[in-house]
Amino acid sequence: MSALTVLASDEFGAPTPDELFNLPPIIPGVDWFTKPVLLAMLSAILVIGLCWGAFANPKIVPGRLQNVMEYGYMFVRDQVARPFLGKDADRWMGLLLTLFFLVFIWNIMGVIPIAQFPVASHIAFPAVLAGSIYVLKVYLGMKHQGPVGYFKNLMFPPGLPKPIYLLLSPIEFLSNLIIAPFTHAVRLFANMFAGHMLLAFFSMVGFWFLFEKLTPLGAGVGVIGVVMTIVFTAFEMFIQFLQAFLFAMLASMYIGGSLHPDH
Amino acid sequence: MSEQERRPENDGRDFADAMWSIPSYLLAGMAVYGGIGWLLDRWLGMSAFFPIGIILGLVLAGYLAYRKFSR
Amino acid sequence: MSVLAEVSGNVTAIGYGLAAIGPGIGVGIIFGQGVQAIARQPEAYGLIRQNMLLGFVLTEALALLGLVAPFIFAQL
Repeated sequence: MSALTVLASDEFGAPTPDELFNLPPIIPGVDWFTKPVLLAMLSAILVIGLCWGAFANPKIVPGRLQNVMEYGYMFVRDQVARPFLGKDADRWMGLLLTLFFLVFIWNIMGVIPIAQFPVASHIAFPAVLAGSIYVLKVYLGMKHQGPVGYFKNLMFPPGLPKPIYLLLSPIEFLSNLIIAPFTHAVRLFANMFAGHMLLAFFSMVGFWFLFEKLTPLGAGVGVIGVVMTIVFTAFEMFIQFLQAFLFAMLASMYIGGSLHPDH
Repeated sequence: MSEQERRPENDGRDFADAMWSIPSYLLAGMAVYGGIGWLLDRWLGMSAFFPIGIILGLVLAGYLAYRKFSR
Repeated sequence: MSVLAEVSGNVTAIGYGLAAIGPGIGVGIIFGQGVQAIARQPEAYGLIRQNMLLGFVLTEALALLGLVAPFIFAQL
């Protein structure tokens, strides 16, 4: 990986992906138990706890937690589920709501002070989610349209001249069954990865030029670094919300596409 | 949705559908025809078919996406 | 001559970064103007949508062409 080297009074090394994302195990000897795994587990418990606390015995006059969670539920139902699933929306709300909250809390871990690591910036986590959505998509498609009908609807969109299908069917096949789940996972992963790198870089600039090597010339750069860190933290919070929303939205789009054959 | 009525929400839905699918169509087109071109290049020992395949794939995938989503 | 600043690593990454600027601006213009056009004339929605789609396909194709350009030029 390339490293941008800025020569100030001494060497300033930008943080490399290896030192940012290749974390040592928390308990020595247990190799799989690293920080992202711990955060993923905590987030899952948090989502279960929030939903349990809010929806286990709902009141007519909602309390504080129930109020907030109902707001989230309404958001997911109106913006994610209903536009793509129509009247089937309520059946799939369980999946979509957990998906949205889980990804959102995974992402927001990147700016929570002590955690400070977006779980989705390890590609394994979004890949597993996207993979399970992909399996669900193919299963539902085969169940609702028949195994042959599913592939027929998938690969031969109506309304094109006959001979051109020979050229276009491979594109349809590859795009729907291989590229789509891949981009589904990579979009979330890449945004979180790049965002974490960006935050680490700017806070490193601020720390280095203001605390480690304080020089009259370097102080200005350090101040810019601190200001950029604050600005990009706000921007990152927006991106984290947006990516969680998009992940749930694409999942609902794939499910909707399998339930109803092409219009 | 077969019996769906043309409402603004549904139009927006279709539009979002198209916008999210287009990049994967273009990538798939490049992968299929670029891949065929690359294989032809390896087979014939040339280097012209790979770029040609990439461009052809882009054009075909763009045509497919345009025809499929603009009605 | 002493080195003041240097860039090491894969130059094609920088190339793609530069190549993505243009399509980025282009997609922004297409959707910005498209939404504005729909807001001004909602009854022309179908036509505007069709042209937005065409513009988006062509611009996105340029962005993806930038992605494979390093592979093409590595071969030549």
